[in-house]
Amino acid sequence: MKNARGPVWVIAEQIDCRILDVSLQLIGQARKLAKQLGSDIEVILLGNKIEHQAGQLFAAGAGIIYLGNNPELTFYQPEAYTEIIVTLARKKQPDIMLMGSTPMGKELAPLIAARLETGLTAHCIDLLINDNNILEQKIPAYGGLISIICPEKRPQMATIAKGVFPEPAMDNSRTGEIIPLDVPDNLPGRIKTLEVVQQEPEGVQLESASIVVAGGAGAGDREGWNEISDLAKTLNAALGCTRPAVDEGWAELDTMIGQSGKMIAPELYIGVGLSGEQQHMVGSVGAEIMVAINNDPRASVFEQVDYGIIDDCREFIPVLIDTIKEYQGKKVSC
Amino acid sequence: MIDFTFTEEQEMFRKAARDFAENQLAPRIAEMEKTGEVNMEVVKALGEAEMMALTIPEAYDGLGLGYTARLIALEEIARVSVATAMMLQVFALGIEPIVQFGNEEQKKKYLPGLAKGDRLATCAVTEPTGGSDPAAGRTIYKKDGDEYIINGRKCFITNSHIADTITVFAKDAENPKAFTTFIVEKGMQGFKPTHVEHKVGMRGCNTGELSFENCRVPRENIIGVEGKGLRVAMSAIGDVGRGGMVGCSLGLHTACLEEAIKFANERILYGKPIIKLQTIQNKIAEMKIDLEAGRLLGYRAASTQDKGQRSSNEFAVAKYYTTEAAQRAAKMSADIHGGYGCMEEFAVTRYLRDSFVLGPSAGTSDIMKVIVARWAIS
Amino acid sequence: MLNIVVCVKAVPEPKEAGKIRIDPATGNLMRSDVPLVLNPLDKNAMEAALGLKRNMDAHVTVISMGPPAAGDIVKECLALGADRGILLSDRAFGGADAFATAYTLARGIEKTGAFDVVFCGMSSSDGATEWVGPEMATFLNVPVVTMVNKIVEFDGSLWKVKAKVENGYRLMQVKLPAVFTVTIDLNTPKTLSFSGIIKARKKEIIQWTALDLGVGEESLGLKGSPTIVADMEAMESKREATIITGTREEKAQMLLQKLVGAGVVS
Repeated sequence: MKNARGPVWVIAEQIDCRILDVSLQLIGQARKLAKQLGSDIEVILLGNKIEHQAGQLFAAGAGIIYLGNNPELTFYQPEAYTEIIVTLARKKQPDIMLMGSTPMGKELAPLIAARLETGLTAHCIDLLINDNNILEQKIPAYGGLISIICPEKRPQMATIAKGVFPEPAMDNSRTGEIIPLDVPDNLPGRIKTLEVVQQEPEGVQLESASIVVAGGAGAGDREGWNEISDLAKTLNAALGCTRPAVDEGWAELDTMIGQSGKMIAPELYIGVGLSGEQQHMVGSVGAEIMVAINNDPRASVFEQVDYGIIDDCREFIPVLIDTIKEYQGKKVSC
Repeated sequence: MIDFTFTEEQEMFRKAARDFAENQLAPRIAEMEKTGEVNMEVVKALGEAEMMALTIPEAYDGLGLGYTARLIALEEIARVSVATAMMLQVFALGIEPIVQFGNEEQKKKYLPGLAKGDRLATCAVTEPTGGSDPAAGRTIYKKDGDEYIINGRKCFITNSHIADTITVFAKDAENPKAFTTFIVEKGMQGFKPTHVEHKVGMRGCNTGELSFENCRVPRENIIGVEGKGLRVAMSAIGDVGRGGMVGCSLGLHTACLEEAIKFANERILYGKPIIKLQTIQNKIAEMKIDLEAGRLLGYRAASTQDKGQRSSNEFAVAKYYTTEAAQRAAKMSADIHGGYGCMEEFAVTRYLRDSFVLGPSAGTSDIMKVIVARWAIS
Repeated sequence: MLNIVVCVKAVPEPKEAGKIRIDPATGNLMRSDVPLVLNPLDKNAMEAALGLKRNMDAHVTVISMGPPAAGDIVKECLALGADRGILLSDRAFGGADAFATAYTLARGIEKTGAFDVVFCGMSSSDGATEWVGPEMATFLNVPVVTMVNKIVEFDGSLWKVKAKVENGYRLMQVKLPAVFTVTIDLNTPKTLSFSGIIKARKKEIIQWTALDLGVGEESLGLKGSPTIVADMEAMESKREATIITGTREEKAQMLLQKLVGAGVVS
């Protein structure tokens, strides 16, 4: 008899008919989980004019793709998306359901979990199958790592940020079955996405930058923040931040690095005026070399980096900038 | 016997005052230090935060809160800006005589504006002949029909140039034993602020001289009874003035202690933060003990005042103790900062300068001791 | 009249929350005396409700699920301007994950009567799953928009709001009643005022237990939580910091040298 356990699902996401990196990364990880469980891996993709995206999903490792391809699904529509996935889940009884921790994923996942009356975990930095064939969802908390499980309810649901799992090995020769999905016609009609407006981001992007400078509460004020920003410009680095900087209004939520923000893995990370709070550090541990500048010698950041400078960042950063500029000037003139 | 805890509501007052001080005052300190002048945005913010309305009765658009609430507010404001706390506390010195001794017309005319911060008050008692000896003052008044003509000079008056409602203490030209307290308004003929003082500390709080040259004041502006004005003036600079200085001192003292601890945690000598050294801990302990004692003295006096009981002696003790303790704390905090304790960019140097102004305000330490000795001996 | 409910949470003071850590020896949480405060984003949720109340006929109920100490933050919300406060407190609520929390809050909101709008912060500074708003909406059978950063139209029962997406926004049209979770950009919360604190003297805080909600224990707290914590372990850092010392200039030089040497700065 075939394995009674349901399939491993990935709810993939597309924006403007482009599949998000996180979806491909999750399919890669889902393949590993499915293999361990002896289960199938199935992917759901909703949108409009997305028939050509199926190939990419197969290449990443999808076995079956459920495709909802309809003008009404062009944008993320909460009612339609939730209803389609919930109805299908009740039919197919997936064992695991994974979704990217994107603005859509963070709304859609709990809507589905509440309807299916099952558990949902946020901010996973690892997923494993344990000896009881249960999904262990690892999340950073309280300076350590906690394992969350959903022992009885199904599916076991989790959201994961981009960059937690690597790009999967793509095999363009892979193919599979595509099952079309219809838009249900009994929707309550109480909420509608009218438009989605997005701009090209400016400056060096966090996730692709080779050097990232991250600023925190230690900047003190906007003047101090501007100095940190200057350091980033001098190094042609991306500028990220911790939550306090967002709260103070110095930086945008989009540039927050950490558990609820971006996961980065640059060659060089320089943390300025931040204490090393776990929620932030967990987003930057992928860096090759890490440096911290903070005036508090007891700050936990100094236990998590390769090089530390104990100094008032407001005094030290200008000196560092001058030193770097001098070096850059010498190079050019040689 | 005694409950030494604050009520839930008082804790909320403290939070509101602290949030106000940190959000509205902290960003403006650098400018106040630079110019030494009153920042009118600060005055506006104080008005919007209802800080002038605390002890004005609800019937006249005030909040009708007592002196404990006032002390909490002053303490929290002084922790961020002593200059602002001083300005605020002196507003109350001008307001209190009207609240205590004003008639219904006067209360209706002045108090609502004062509560909102549309009118700003001060109290003018001190003269070059001395504030410690108010009866020796030379500002005199002469009756002329329905008006009184005031001549004289008041000095070291906080809010001198921004106040428009001033309670002025003057002596009867014909009877050196009779005094009257008048409400003088900005714009009245013969009255004008003259010289501006440049204080070494509490910059952002305006202090200066007031000149009265044949200043005509209508009879309606007498507070209380003509000839019995000493009581009225003392009600201002007595409990309310002393209580205000307690608030300024406690706030400053707290700031000195917090800065000292912060610095000592960050400064590394001999491979570890200096806060681990016994000599530093000794100073911190002294500051802490003084602060605990000062707070108890201050809140005990305020609580007595709130009960409607006489509290001048308790406030004399509290004023003496807290102003002296704050000056010690500022010096100790500066010492802990080592060389940085003389650098202007470090807040502790501002605290040092601010602490100098605490002592002589609302009665010198020596005068406080005279009052306390009298209390002990009686 | 617009009936608004604001869900708030008492959280450990975010600036000190780092003190609560896993003990590497026991694998349990080392509790610390970190004071409880109002979740920062809930201040934006409160201001959203109070802002509407300033401009139209509205009634604001604030509701929170937490230990008895959470009553202080409900009081604070009354002082900010809410009309009525409700504290859901019961041992049975303890150990709840987002699902059970959302369920309990939903039942509490239903008990308050008819509502038009529910505001809550998009996440709490401790936990921060971001699930409670959407799950609560599902249990209440109303639509939800998460990460609202602008309320564009709010006349009548058809609202238009903008919600944050990566580098932009989505414009949502929503029929009330509905749940909105809010971001820090939605508004600037006003601070506590003395007169607000005085007015709060007359306002009531009602406390409801599991019995008052009429909900069985199997749906509440730990028992009602589909997810549980299976294990806790302290994390060890794989890096050992070299602290660079010297004068300021020396430190800058040394750091640059190291980074150039490692090939990360060129």
